[in-house]
Amino acid sequence: MCLGGTATAHPHVFVDARTGFIFDGEGHLNALRISWTYDEFTTLILFESLNLDKDGDGVFNDADRAAVIDGETNWDPEYKGDVYLEVAGQDYSLGRPEAAAATLANNQVEVSFDLPLSQPVRIGDTPAVLRLYDPIFFYAYTILPATNPIALPQGCEAQIVSFEPDAAESALQEKLAALGREETPSQQNVGRLFSDEVQLTCG
Amino acid sequence: MRLKLGVIVFCILSVGAAAWAFVPWFDMQRWAAGEQRIFQNAMAGALRGIQAGDPQAVWTLCGATAAYGFFHALGPGHGKVLIGGAALASGVTLKRLSVLTVLSSLAQAATAIVLVGGLVFLLQMQSGDLAAMTERWLAPASYAAIAVIGAVLVFRGARILHRMGQARHAADGCCGHTHGPSVTEVATLHSARDAVALIASIAIRPCTGALFVLVIAARFDAFAVGCLAVITMGFGTAAFNLTVATSGVAARWLTAFGARDQTAMQTVSATLHVTGGILIVAMSMGMLLPYLS
Repeated sequence: MCLGGTATAHPHVFVDARTGFIFDGEGHLNALRISWTYDEFTTLILFESLNLDKDGDGVFNDADRAAVIDGETNWDPEYKGDVYLEVAGQDYSLGRPEAAAATLANNQVEVSFDLPLSQPVRIGDTPAVLRLYDPIFFYAYTILPATNPIALPQGCEAQIVSFEPDAAESALQEKLAALGREETPSQQNVGRLFSDEVQLTCG
Repeated sequence: MRLKLGVIVFCILSVGAAAWAFVPWFDMQRWAAGEQRIFQNAMAGALRGIQAGDPQAVWTLCGATAAYGFFHALGPGHGKVLIGGAALASGVTLKRLSVLTVLSSLAQAATAIVLVGGLVFLLQMQSGDLAAMTERWLAPASYAAIAVIGAVLVFRGARILHRMGQARHAADGCCGHTHGPSVTEVATLHSARDAVALIASIAIRPCTGALFVLVIAARFDAFAVGCLAVITMGFGTAAFNLTVATSGVAARWLTAFGARDQTAMQTVSATLHVTGGILIVAMSMGMLLPYLS
């Protein structure tokens, strides 16, 4: 993404995110579908920083679409798209964005893309957890139900679990209480407690 | 004396930490972020109105930026730390501190205007680069300057104590008329130099939101309107920071309430200088640390 930011706890960019799970013919989870809808102010910033609508006719044309896709999905190798997938309790690595598209509706830019899994994986009854968050909270993500949901294989279910401050606080306290006896939790795990997530189970 | 001071500072800090733990920060931050999002969208709507030539849009924009400034200031930030700490430490009057608070917010707006006017207009810098530069260089510079002011307050508190010790020593020797530093001497932040330092340390770092308002306004050939909107944003920020300043002055007043004689006044003042200074140094260093690693 093109708007930088170092450690700060002010969200400047608000993103409504929608997610989908793509399975292959053998019933393995193959890829994630992610879409980001930016707030109206950030949309204006994107128009400025990516120099969109150069002709000023107000039409979001193919050149603008290409600029948004390039600016939003051609990211640095160290950036992971603020997308984190956990399968059977383990972090699962993801590839780079594919099949990206960009639209402008209701004065908000939306960009969507697929993130292939490094290897297709079978999902069992232990939930696979998809979390979207920016470790430094410059971007604030809210996960919403998909407008055109991708059908899941029979027996699979995806559920959005929104961030609840109380739940996060008590979970954090449990973690901190466990600190004495067990190993130090990684910073990332603490950050995860504050994000919306989608839980996927297949029974 | 030293030990007693240590105990008092420790007590004030622990009571503060306990009070801090009871504030529902999560809920407040979430609520403030939600409000900020609403006004951020209102700003966008008004900016599009300006592009379309709607004369009312200027006032909508100014109202939205003022509200944005207020709610954005609710988040953790550098200005509040300094203003709150200085209110506690320095014995500055509420009136003077209010003026300093408003001036520092306006100076912050001026920094944004100068940066966008100079770098984006004249030097054709990309707005994204300007925002990155602000976060990378100006933010830590501001934290460092604020930490230095905190250290100066600690130093002044220590100096008051030292002078009091000397005065007592002289009185014991039965010949001196020195009574230690006077009440006005123990209240600092009165000089123009102090005021400039306080304002400048806050103003070094402009709000990223202000930079973007200016850049977007400039794109719509309405840079002057952008300037006006950023100034009202500064007033919004100042409005919130004034509540912090008032709380700081009130806390100081409560602490000093029991102090009747001059020695007690001096002790309280010295203690509060040290406490407020430590708070400022600790919190600004906390914000600075991520930049040093």
